Amino acid sequence: MKSVLGSLVILIAVASFVAAGASCSTNREDSAPATTRVADPSDVIDQDLMVALAQAKNFHHKAKVYMSDGNLVAATASVRQILSLRFPKGAPEADDVRLDARALLAKLLVSQGKLDEAMTTVEEGLAATQRESFFVANLYTVQGEIHEARAALADAQGEAGKPQAIEERRAAIASYDRSIHINEKLQAQLVETR
Amino acid sequence: MTQHPDDDDILTGPVPAPDEEATAAERAHAKTFADIVDKTLTGRTPAAMSADDRALLEVATVIRAASGGMALSAGKQRSIVEDALRQAVGEAGSGAATGGGGVTPIARGRRTLLPWAISAVSVAVAAAAMLVLWLRAPGHPDHSGASVAAAPPAHWTSRPADPLIGPIARDQAGDASSRIDYIFADRLDGFRERRLARGGKP
Repeated sequence: MKSVLGSLVILIAVASFVAAGASCSTNREDSAPATTRVADPSDVIDQDLMVALAQAKNFHHKAKVYMSDGNLVAATASVRQILSLRFPKGAPEADDVRLDARALLAKLLVSQGKLDEAMTTVEEGLAATQRESFFVANLYTVQGEIHEARAALADAQGEAGKPQAIEERRAAIASYDRSIHINEKLQAQLVETR
Repeated sequence: MTQHPDDDDILTGPVPAPDEEATAAERAHAKTFADIVDKTLTGRTPAAMSADDRALLEVATVIRAASGGMALSAGKQRSIVEDALRQAVGEAGSGAATGGGGVTPIARGRRTLLPWAISAVSVAVAAAAMLVLWLRAPGHPDHSGASVAAAPPAHWTSRPADPLIGPIARDQAGDASSRIDYIFADRLDGFRERRLARGGKP
């Protein structure tokens, strides 16, 4: 009788400690990942984004090869294909890559004497801008270079082209100022976040 | 005082008259019997006595007990009760379980409450632990929002490339090829890390 009672007590005590231990282990599991699992929202880097970035990369390299070969037309066509790439909807990288492609495309057009087309390429990019970025600032820089090229072209016209040259140089300064302003603003933001 | 021939036969002999004086043999016998009774009352009953004395002694004991004058000492009472309990529980089984010890004395009987107290505390602890487990179960509605998913690491997400690229110098304005290489490599790291964390699932 006494031995049965003792065994019962030991059994209950062991069960209690096991249950308490299980409770504690659950707490440990909860504390390590108080976060049960990682979420999978739509803004994570997915395969579609990587494919689009890889294609942009390849078109840039292809254009680089054409440029090294002096084939600016083919290089321009290759860079232009980047603008038609399909990125995941709302991906910030899409804006950055397209703006950078427009900057290169505009410079290629300038080097081919296609200043108006270059300016159109830049203005379309700036018009579609959703936010300020270093790529937008870079596009303003390229815009300034286009204005400088236009001023130089106006200067070549002699006295008749001087007013336009002055206007273009003022526009170039305005574009460079805008680029500088965006760069300073973004750099200040980056310093704050770090 | 007259001497009867059968003075030694006090049980079967003739009963003397009330006023008759006791004989010397009767006195000696009475004295001897009184000694036996005294010794019996003090627990020192002689091992050997005559059958007549034993019969008389039993009668005397019954008479004394019936008169209510026999008060047992506390030790004697406890000993008698424990003997009775030992017989009721079974001396053999008890002895085997306790390693040869006897029945637990009445004074120590209260200690049997200790195992029950331990059991009650243990049950309470187990119940509390089970309650905690139940409340923290994943399927159970938790007011603290434990099932809320955490935000993924920043480098797993699609995000602006400004922190990666930084300000673009004017002489680097057309070097988009190098910048796309940086962006692609950085995003590939995040993409691979996330994929590995998901067990290879895209």
